[in-house]
Amino acid sequence: MARVGVFVCFCGANIADYVDVPQVVEEAKRIREVKFAIDYKYMCSDPGQQQIRDAIAQHRLTSIVVAACSPRMHEKTFRKALSDAGMNPYLLEVANIREHSSWVHQKDKKAATEKASDLVRMAVAKSIANEQLHEISVPVTKRALVIGGGIAGIQAALDIADARIPVVLVEKSPSIGGKMAQLDETFPTLDCAQCILTPKMVDVASHPYIELIPYSEVLELQGFVGNYKVKIKKKASYVNFKTCTGCGACWQKCPVKVDNEYNMGIDKRKAIYTPFPQAVPNKPVIDAEHCTMLTKGKCGICAKVCEKGSIDYQMQDEIIEREIGAVVVATGYDMWDPKPYEEYGVGRFKDIITSLEFERMVSANGPTNGLPLRPSDGKVPKNVVFIKCVGSRDEAKGISYCSKICCMYTTKHTILLHHKVHDSHAYVFYMDIRAAGKGYEEFVEKAQVDTGTTYLRGRVSKIYKKGDKLMVRGEDAQIGQVVEVEADLVVLATAVSAPKDNPDLARLLGISYDKYGYLSEAHPKLRPVETAKAGIFLAGCTQAPKDIPETVSQASACAAKVCGLFAGDTMKKDPMISTVNTEYCSGCQNCVKVCPYGAIVTDEVPFGHGSKELRTVAKINEGVCQGCGSCVAICRSTAINLAGFTDPQIINEIVSI
Amino acid sequence: MKKLTYFPGCSAHGTSEEFDKTVKMVMTSLDVQMEEIPDWNCCGATSAHTMSESLAYALPLRNLVLAEKLDNSTMAIPCASCYQRLKVTKVHMDDNPELCKEINSTVVEDGIYQGKVDVKSMLQYCFEDVGLDAIKAKVTKSLAGMKLACYYGCLLTRPKAITNFDSPEYPMSMDKIVEALGAKATEFDYKTECCGASFSISNTEVVINLTGQILEMAKESGADAIVVACPLCQSNLDMRQPDIEKHLGKKIDLPIFYFTQLMALAFGMPEKDLMFSKHIVPVEGALANIGKIVPEPEKVKKTRKAVEAESEAE
Repeated sequence: MARVGVFVCFCGANIADYVDVPQVVEEAKRIREVKFAIDYKYMCSDPGQQQIRDAIAQHRLTSIVVAACSPRMHEKTFRKALSDAGMNPYLLEVANIREHSSWVHQKDKKAATEKASDLVRMAVAKSIANEQLHEISVPVTKRALVIGGGIAGIQAALDIADARIPVVLVEKSPSIGGKMAQLDETFPTLDCAQCILTPKMVDVASHPYIELIPYSEVLELQGFVGNYKVKIKKKASYVNFKTCTGCGACWQKCPVKVDNEYNMGIDKRKAIYTPFPQAVPNKPVIDAEHCTMLTKGKCGICAKVCEKGSIDYQMQDEIIEREIGAVVVATGYDMWDPKPYEEYGVGRFKDIITSLEFERMVSANGPTNGLPLRPSDGKVPKNVVFIKCVGSRDEAKGISYCSKICCMYTTKHTILLHHKVHDSHAYVFYMDIRAAGKGYEEFVEKAQVDTGTTYLRGRVSKIYKKGDKLMVRGEDAQIGQVVEVEADLVVLATAVSAPKDNPDLARLLGISYDKYGYLSEAHPKLRPVETAKAGIFLAGCTQAPKDIPETVSQASACAAKVCGLFAGDTMKKDPMISTVNTEYCSGCQNCVKVCPYGAIVTDEVPFGHGSKELRTVAKINEGVCQGCGSCVAICRSTAINLAGFTDPQIINEIVSI
Repeated sequence: MKKLTYFPGCSAHGTSEEFDKTVKMVMTSLDVQMEEIPDWNCCGATSAHTMSESLAYALPLRNLVLAEKLDNSTMAIPCASCYQRLKVTKVHMDDNPELCKEINSTVVEDGIYQGKVDVKSMLQYCFEDVGLDAIKAKVTKSLAGMKLACYYGCLLTRPKAITNFDSPEYPMSMDKIVEALGAKATEFDYKTECCGASFSISNTEVVINLTGQILEMAKESGADAIVVACPLCQSNLDMRQPDIEKHLGKKIDLPIFYFTQLMALAFGMPEKDLMFSKHIVPVEGALANIGKIVPEPEKVKKTRKAVEAESEAE
């Protein structure tokens, strides 16, 4: 005879305000198999769990029902309470009376209470049919894949590799470094981005536990946590990296000039190029789209001047495969294109530039030798207007979120302008100054005093040309008047946006993304670096806009998660997986077709006892099965059962109401 | 032969007679047969939509219903205000059948609205339906030598969700039309600024100020005339110009043409038929530039070093 214990939680006011909890307990007590029922303010707290443990011993309970929040929240907590009391943890059943009742029926307490009682009755009925289950152990491939070689990917790769776990780092461009390599100085301490980043880039290249695969992208990911298989496309670089010494003869002689992406198109690079002098690896690649040898079969100069014979125009894309156990996604961000701001004359006026273009100009290794110059006439600007929130916090034209870093980098830009052009004057149009971060507010305050920048609180409504000046018209909301500023140069603090390839990557990895294209974390507060898919983690701006300190912290957090995952030789896995009763299986293989994880294969068994004739049946790979239940639903001969969700269990639930 | 439903609006029979007349001349020349909506009524601007929402819809809706009896797929309107009222009404009626039924009940004796006639401004019709190639083909007397600032005003392209035509901030359709006629369109950043509209009568100072800025910017752009596609813009820019000149204390002297007047001129129609005598600011000076082509000053490309040296010297 089953002896069920029922524990109903108040969840503070979350449940108790809308569900009559004592009434639910009374209803539970009327069920024949329920030998003990009680309510408590917070069941998940330690005293709450103690009540469960005590009751198991005192009342010789055979299964437990906890009526509380979603099992996604605390199923693990209560399972542990059961095993601490010596009971098999899978004899627990959670009735979700918060998300499924109190939260959604706040206007009708009577109905909410009835529904909560029904949910408890179902859980009790199911728990009676629950069986003892045991965790499954699966082997783990202790190698991590990091996608993206910006500061997030670099930090994650280094931290994982330092724990002596091999890392495969995939970067789509010819060099690692990402957006940070394009920055001049970094807020709020103004240390040079290159100086703090390049040592880390070199560490990546020389680390014995890191395999760096530049100029490549991820094509396919198969498998499950601990046992993924990844396909990587290594784009043809047309340069043999093994023999190339990076001497530079090829790009010096190359006659084809192309807009330089690293410098935001302000100057030109060659068709064979390294993105920037500190690139890692410091080997050139040929841009197949622009190289005349590859497009028209004419030129071949780089091959002629290469002393090592490293140029190979016949090189093809290469597909490589790696077995890995975990993935860190660190694909960074894109700068938002301000084209929709037609009233600013974006695209018409050359002297309106974006913040990253300004950053390249003032950068010591930039295209203008560190001096901001007007693109129209190459003159040094005196009056510079910075406009914040271009795209950010603008639902009409851009995106509704705050990009988080623009207030700080614009402050930095006013300082850099002041350093480079002493007699310049900066104006900043802003909505708010958001300087939450260690040393940030002090940085903004100091910059305002030191540079004498004029801060104007209000939006810019129009920019027009007067002679060779740009007239910036906006509102100064603090004096309630329209103001016009005569500018030599206008810098737009454009929003941070999600990489445009993120949705494709998310589909490929089987993880989710939000309406902006940022990859979604498992829980916004308590699981900020995990995704909903086990073994895939997020670092940096690919999840949401963030600054460098936060990005680095998140990357290190990812590394800790990966190391934790790889701590043992095997991994524990929930036993809720499918099993095949081969006696019923007709071998139709419909389950093989519907399984989204490729967990079902076919097997041969004898027709009958002692028979030599064989027939085909389905077989589940228990390491791969995720317990989704698709095979159970498609199986026409009810040969497949899902542990924890067996037919008798489900039928019991249905019958109970 | 194309057919087009025509809604002239009240100004076409008064202050903007020359717009109405040249539209008709140009359309005939372009082989477009215009049919005026029989018994059309006032569009309601601007009194109706500031007083009563239902009246603001009902007046244009009656015109839309009457237009459907003519069996043409498109209606074109020379006046920007009329265009705005009819287009807003069309979009809101199409999107909201409930509201449409309610409003339609007030003008039910004229018919039931079906939403089958597209509403366009005359500018939009010329740009989209006639097309630059057809316009270019008709030009017998190029306007080369004229430098024109194209002024669209606030209503022809806004709001984008309603008009769905050209850019709401920096439209180019009229610029392209005058360039098809051989003239040069200047870079004019005030092309969609507000002229003050009907405040011309109730609060003239507002118009003097706003229109004054538009005229000054047009002058600065190097234009010798302004081109418009709206009767109220024309009247403010033209009629208030002497007062504005007095207010600014300087000469502006920019004649204000309807784009159809210039089309007719370029199509070789006699000047005396284009009603230039109705203008306040004399047009002769601007028209005298036709044929006089000043070569553009050759741009000297400086090397980066020269520029750097120059800015260092500064």
